[in-house]
Amino acid sequence: MTSQNLEALRREVRDWLRANLPKGWGTPEYVPPQRYSRESHELGKEWTKKMYDAGYTGFNYPKEYGGIERPREEIAVIYEEMARTGTPGGPLSLGLLVAAPAILVHGEEWQKKRFIPKILSGEESWCEGFSEPDAGSDLANVQTTAVRDGDEWVVNGQKVWTSMWEFADWGLLVAKTEPDAPRHRNLSYFLFDTTTPGFSRRPLRQMSGEAEFGEMFFDDMRVPHENMMDEQGRGWYVAMTALTAERSFGGTGFTGGAAAMGGLGTSDLLSANSLVELARNTKRYGKSVWEESAFRQRIMQTAIELEAMRWSGARLAARMMKGTPIGNEASLLKNFQAEMRQRRGDLTCEILGAYSQMVRGSTRAVDEGDHVYNMLRARGATIEMGTSEINRNIIAERILGLPR
Amino acid sequence: MEFSLSEEQEMLKTMARDFLENECPKTHVREMMEDEVGFSRDLWKKMADVGWLGLVFPEEYGGSGMNFRDLTILCEEMGRALLPGPFLQTVLLVGMPILTAGTEEQKKEYLPKIASGDMVCTLAVLEEDGDFWPDGVQLKATQRGNDYIINGTKLFVNNAKGVDYILVAARTRRATEPGDGITLFLVDMTEWGTYVSPLQTMDQTRPQFEVMFNHVAVPASNIIGELHEGWSVLKEAATKATAALCAEMVGGGEWVLETTVNYAKERIAFGVPIGSFQVIKHKCADMYSDLEYARSLTEWAAETIKDDIPDAQMSVSMAKSYCGDTYKMVCDHGVQIHGGIGFTWDHDMHLYFKRARSSDTAFGDSYYHRELLAQSID
Repeated sequence: MTSQNLEALRREVRDWLRANLPKGWGTPEYVPPQRYSRESHELGKEWTKKMYDAGYTGFNYPKEYGGIERPREEIAVIYEEMARTGTPGGPLSLGLLVAAPAILVHGEEWQKKRFIPKILSGEESWCEGFSEPDAGSDLANVQTTAVRDGDEWVVNGQKVWTSMWEFADWGLLVAKTEPDAPRHRNLSYFLFDTTTPGFSRRPLRQMSGEAEFGEMFFDDMRVPHENMMDEQGRGWYVAMTALTAERSFGGTGFTGGAAAMGGLGTSDLLSANSLVELARNTKRYGKSVWEESAFRQRIMQTAIELEAMRWSGARLAARMMKGTPIGNEASLLKNFQAEMRQRRGDLTCEILGAYSQMVRGSTRAVDEGDHVYNMLRARGATIEMGTSEINRNIIAERILGLPR
Repeated sequence: MEFSLSEEQEMLKTMARDFLENECPKTHVREMMEDEVGFSRDLWKKMADVGWLGLVFPEEYGGSGMNFRDLTILCEEMGRALLPGPFLQTVLLVGMPILTAGTEEQKKEYLPKIASGDMVCTLAVLEEDGDFWPDGVQLKATQRGNDYIINGTKLFVNNAKGVDYILVAARTRRATEPGDGITLFLVDMTEWGTYVSPLQTMDQTRPQFEVMFNHVAVPASNIIGELHEGWSVLKEAATKATAALCAEMVGGGEWVLETTVNYAKERIAFGVPIGSFQVIKHKCADMYSDLEYARSLTEWAAETIKDDIPDAQMSVSMAKSYCGDTYKMVCDHGVQIHGGIGFTWDHDMHLYFKRARSSDTAFGDSYYHRELLAQSID
């Protein structure tokens, strides 16, 4: 691939984005659909379909499962351009980042052929049913049961903290199938259709005010035996694959993901710049916050941490290209990103002072209350996808070899 | 931008580690801590023989023409071994200014001697205010015929005792811009009028000295770079040395991490290894994580210097700021996890703890570099 061809591709992607992004995208005129609404979900689906048809997503999967094969340098250019403008995304990410990787590793041939193409093309969206009221960090303590009845499994129980809970077409489910087997060998993994009778869902409202997550209830829900993934009793291991995949992407985020592909996304740097802008334009006690040494120090620390993350992603990518798989290192990126998000949220609110209290809906709110929303939402970042504590255990035990 | 090491670089790393494990064990480091000069000329000669001192100089000046990233691989190992001696000073703070700003004659005369280990050097910039900035340079050099006469005192000069030359930043003109009017003089330490006395400093692995210049005559031919325009040369050299120092810090931090993790696996308390306690695990995880990020920033900084990217200064400031904080934190945890034994003089942990502190202040600490970054977008 010559650099000339790559530049041509870059122009092509740019033109395509200009033609296909929602009207007014990236300008104040653009009004995004409400977070987690059906409209937002549909927009995500449509967008994924458009990208897939244009050949801009679905990488890293074999052709026979609908994957799109492109040289790495091209993928990097595409990701860079996407990161530059930002894109509608959201609801489908769970299928792409969690369901598809798990199915690719553990699924039977028919499952791969049936499910992966529709995930890549955005036709079907997914949610995951892992956590329960008594099984959070201790995920192996799952109490939801599945009992075999002929060619079907009968599922009963409850799941909590389900992302994309409301509109997802399909779900991933871990349930206890061998009540007497030892821990980690008593669970099985299922793929279930969310239109199945006996399945119901309701919102779980979080401290930031909305219900990004939901609760799922299974009341004698019947799942065909063929929808079990991997062998009976191996559900724990499938869940671990899914969670590691989620962490590595959740940790890097879209831009980090682009950096991890060897491309250099710029939106992370812009986000440090946006802190600088906010500090410059915010006056406290008669002078610009940017003139305050304490704030300058913390804002620059944020910029440094963003760079550190970007190059750590690039180093992991270099390792991947040499053929070393990334597994436990995902915990590293995930924790850093989550904890940085909290620091950044706190810092933004502290820059704003009294105005940091104003939430969405207040006419006096800065940036429509996004700053305080981000600060609140960030508290969940160190809890979801493995708490910071669990991830530190993973680093200590699996990377450093400390005793369990 | 290439992050993973090539086969040759992996070999260089292995060779460096083996060499230093043999030639620079902790017994040597501790011997040098008590030594008046603080480094060994024998070891220096051996380093020259394996090609380290001329590593980044072109072949025509007795070097082997390798790149900056290669050099940082060595520095990492030197930091791990706590190698005593003015390596960064000789190669990057004196050798590099000669290579980039020196005359052809100077390059031909000095660089082969540095490469062969026959010329050991250090840099003298800081004075009483202790800050690395042009305003700090007050020591005067006044012209007298073909010579310049240097008068004044320099502080915080690494390894000033036992070196052959000191590159001295002196003020040759008063100007409104503080960076204007600074000239670099290569002072031969056998000249009459230089007085070197040790500063009692915490980090004994890298001793520092006070150097007094009393009417020292330096020939104009020993000016490195242009008259009055030494500061920019110095800044460029300091950027490189700072990046190399970051590599040392990462290497030292990794020794502390490995040693601490091993100790946590072996030390039994309450009937179990202390490494099975989550409080210990989480500290170790933080040491590991932050070192990984410090390494990423350091390798990126090294690449920007190697590739001559214009904003290398920014990447180096980011790395230095992060490495300073991280190395200190890693050593804090290292001492704490070792408990009582980590607080003793006999255990090596405090050598790293102190090296972390002296490295943090060298070439501007974390606060200074964050402020530098902020100023770049003011």
